[in-house]
Amino acid sequence: MTFNPSVLLIILLGIGFPMAFTQSITANVVVCVLALLYLMLHHANLKTIGLVTLISLPLALGTGWSFIAFGTGDVWLQAWLQVSRLFAYLFLGMSLTLTTPVKDMLMSFVLHLHLSPTFAYGLLAAFNLLPRIQRQVKTIRYSANLRGMTYHLWQPQLYFKAILSAIQWSDDLAQGMASHGFSEGFPRTMTYQDTLPKWQWLVAGILIIGYVGMSFFI
Amino acid sequence: MTKLAIENFSFRYRDSGPDELSQITWTPAAGSFNLLIGASGSGKSTLLKAMTGLLPQFGGTVTSGEITLDDLPIATVAPFERAKRVALLFQNPNRQFAMATPLEQITFALENIQAPAADIPHQVDEALATIGITALANQNLITLSGGEKQKVALATILALGSDYILLDEPFANVDPHARHELMHLLKQLQMHHGKTIIVADHDFSGYPDLIDTVYQLVDHQLTQTDASVLSANTGVDPLFPAPSRNALSPLALDDVSIDMAGRPLIESATFALPAGQLGLLSGVNGSGKSTLFAAITHQRPYRGLLHWDGQDSQKIKMKRWAQTVGLVFQDAMDQFVALTVADELALSQKHTRLPDYWTTARIEQTLDQLNLTPHTEANVYQLSGGQQKKLQVLSMLIMSQPVLLLDEPLAGLDTVSMQHVLDLIQTSIQANHISALMISHQRIGLADYVDYEIHLQGHHLIMGGAQ
Amino acid sequence: MQTVQQNNTRWHLKDVIFLAIIAIFFGIIYQLWGYMYYALAATPLKPFANDLTLGVWLMAGPMAGVLLKKVGATFLGELLAATVEMLLFSSWGVSTLLSGSIQGLGSELGFAMTGYKNWDKLGLTLSVITSTIVTLGWDLFSNGYLHYQPMMLVGLFAARLLSVGFFAGVLVYWIKRLLDQTGLMK
Ligand SMILES: Nc1ncnc2c1ncn2[C@@H]1O[C@H](COP(=O)(O)OP(=O)(O)OP(=O)(O)O)[C@@H](O)[C@H]1O
Ligand SMILES: Nc1ncnc2c1ncn2[C@@H]1O[C@H](COP(=O)(O)OP(=O)(O)OP(=O)(O)O)[C@@H](O)[C@H]1O
Ligand SMILES: [Mg+2]
Ligand SMILES: [Mg+2]
Repeated sequence: MTFNPSVLLIILLGIGFPMAFTQSITANVVVCVLALLYLMLHHANLKTIGLVTLISLPLALGTGWSFIAFGTGDVWLQAWLQVSRLFAYLFLGMSLTLTTPVKDMLMSFVLHLHLSPTFAYGLLAAFNLLPRIQRQVKTIRYSANLRGMTYHLWQPQLYFKAILSAIQWSDDLAQGMASHGFSEGFPRTMTYQDTLPKWQWLVAGILIIGYVGMSFFI
Repeated sequence: MTKLAIENFSFRYRDSGPDELSQITWTPAAGSFNLLIGASGSGKSTLLKAMTGLLPQFGGTVTSGEITLDDLPIATVAPFERAKRVALLFQNPNRQFAMATPLEQITFALENIQAPAADIPHQVDEALATIGITALANQNLITLSGGEKQKVALATILALGSDYILLDEPFANVDPHARHELMHLLKQLQMHHGKTIIVADHDFSGYPDLIDTVYQLVDHQLTQTDASVLSANTGVDPLFPAPSRNALSPLALDDVSIDMAGRPLIESATFALPAGQLGLLSGVNGSGKSTLFAAITHQRPYRGLLHWDGQDSQKIKMKRWAQTVGLVFQDAMDQFVALTVADELALSQKHTRLPDYWTTARIEQTLDQLNLTPHTEANVYQLSGGQQKKLQVLSMLIMSQPVLLLDEPLAGLDTVSMQHVLDLIQTSIQANHISALMISHQRIGLADYVDYEIHLQGHHLIMGGAQ
Repeated sequence: MQTVQQNNTRWHLKDVIFLAIIAIFFGIIYQLWGYMYYALAATPLKPFANDLTLGVWLMAGPMAGVLLKKVGATFLGELLAATVEMLLFSSWGVSTLLSGSIQGLGSELGFAMTGYKNWDKLGLTLSVITSTIVTLGWDLFSNGYLHYQPMMLVGLFAARLLSVGFFAGVLVYWIKRLLDQTGLMK
């Protein structure tokens, strides 16, 4: 069973928001298990899941520990609650990001969630620049070195140069896209198609209501 | 047939000051092949962008006249309607694509002009086939060479069906072979598809046989000129010797290999940089020239050893290494660290290794030679491409690192500026005993300046060029 | 042929790409900060690590606001940065998306209080204050801050105000001033 990316997003937000207020460890664990199952079902990269989990361990440790050290009331309950919440958020997020390419997400949002093509293609164009943006941060720092200077993270220069690149690139890209006919506010053909049977919305509703019921009333 | 007409058109970027384009009137003949020339900063890019309707949409103001597309002011025509009639190929091949692959990009363009969904796959295939890049359809655009990217851009324009194809120095970063191929393709489009072609270029070689008319921008105005002006910048391809092994700089590559995306790009390069000379590093687009520079400057990983004075250069801290090996970036925007031309140079002067040589008087005199004096207070980000290149080279020469790597410092320069830049490089490296290596696709005009050549081909460094 | 009317209040393609690229840049630069954060985050001092670096997370919003000067730019800038964060470095999952929206709302509120008229010192100062309060309110629940000792909460509030004040206030202001001098932002 594969959820349409739009449905998946609604599920994530629908469960994620109440999760910030819930006090139920069980509910968090159930979310973790379901999200992991969904990830397995879609052959998500196990190595990535493992790696991200591993990276989050120190954070989880710090979270739990801080409540034990500085908490009031049942500190152990709070510690476990926050740790389970952290992982629930993590796996919930991965069930979208690790199963769906960014392009499919954005196109689905255009088709089903009324995201404007201007936003979808603007974001997509920026995402396709990602490797260059990563390299650019390095280049900016290096260009300062070449002139006998260092840019520190608490000084404005690094951010300033980054924003200058952003101005330049967004101008170039927008011009490139306009010259390839992209017209804001005009209809365009969509060759991207996906399926979204009505029952998926129903399942989404059941999952969200089920979660809220489980976490606040049990 | 679409009609693109320019009537008494004047344009400026700034709110005050002189016009960048002044009273231009031009109706390119349908189905003709035109070359647009003019010194750097003369307004070629500005004119082409205005003709595509990108200006004033993306900045500046029209101070007189108008440009019309089928008698409608082009600025008011919706972009998808413009694209079907007029298209522009940008100078920088890297920044015109929104999508990840050629297939996606052409599909995106066809969707924009509201082509019926059922026809799109077929139209995409046809455009790719006409340009001869079917094999690249699904390759990530980031991994294509400059020449290949320009072909993808051409295929996109072809798919859009634009009657007018404008090209802004499309070959500035393209190797001679790809350049020749692309020019031939353009001729085909003109002859067999009835396109009207307008190319802005500084390098005139190959054009005399292709074009119908030459237009020149001088003093912000456009005039039609005689094709004989083109002979000025054509000539024989010079041959350069292998690097000498007599006087060597401290920099040496020992069995250096570089991988790109998991595949070997450069294999076991071994080479000692001659001292106090200017070398040429040549090779087709995508052969790895810029990547080799990135490795030497410690900006990307490599295998093997890079020596400085017999010592492993990796032992040297980044900040000191940057004071040892200088780099003129392929993209000028990457170089700048200040806001105005004056600030940029002042920073270099403050940190130069040779303050006695780079006196204020010398810097001012050099600025004058480079025609940059009127622009000292100008914002570096608003200079023309050619002006930026000149400033870039000068600010690195002032820094005077013992080794200087120059990545296409001549791209986009007119003949006169190129001469000035080469003179400047030669004078300062000889006076200060700097060892320099320069990447350039342009070879004509280099005969008096370059001491030796290294050619990058088939993953290997070949000493003495391809000949 | 179809024609267009120029409309300057809408979100243009260029603005969207610009915001997204800034968001990605800030996401990447944030990773540079990440090392420091990680060293502290594995200890009980994690909430302090969180609050002391929080300001960096909050830069994208006010930055977008003062650059684009549009209603909603602050919120959207922050939300986009969070989206990028989730898609690229998903170590916090959906919570990034939620906290991004909250942070965006918090920062936007400050500019809204000036009637979207002041994008300078006043707007930024108010934005710093509102975002500090709003995000702390959110953390009372989502990060269980409600269960910390009161003195600890006061300390966290101070740390947060300091961090947001410097990064999302002072530093953003400095960057804006540099950018104004280029004449490239109109
Ligand atoms: N965005 C801008 N804002 C302000 N001034 C600009 C801008 N772009 C270009 N200019 C100025 O307009 C003039 C014409 O620039 P343009 O880029 O059209 O020249 P060009 O003929 O294409 O030069 P090159 O051969 O170097 O590419 C130059 O003096 C340049 O400094
Ligand atoms: N991030 C990347 N991922 C994969 N391949 C890349 C990446 N960056 C560059 N390449 C590829 O590596 C090869 C070498 O690139 P490089 O820029 O060094 O070539 P070059 O010789 O400088 O070409 P040009 O003359 O076009 O500047 C090219 O085929 C390029 O497409
Ligand atoms: Mg130009
Ligand atoms: Mg290169």
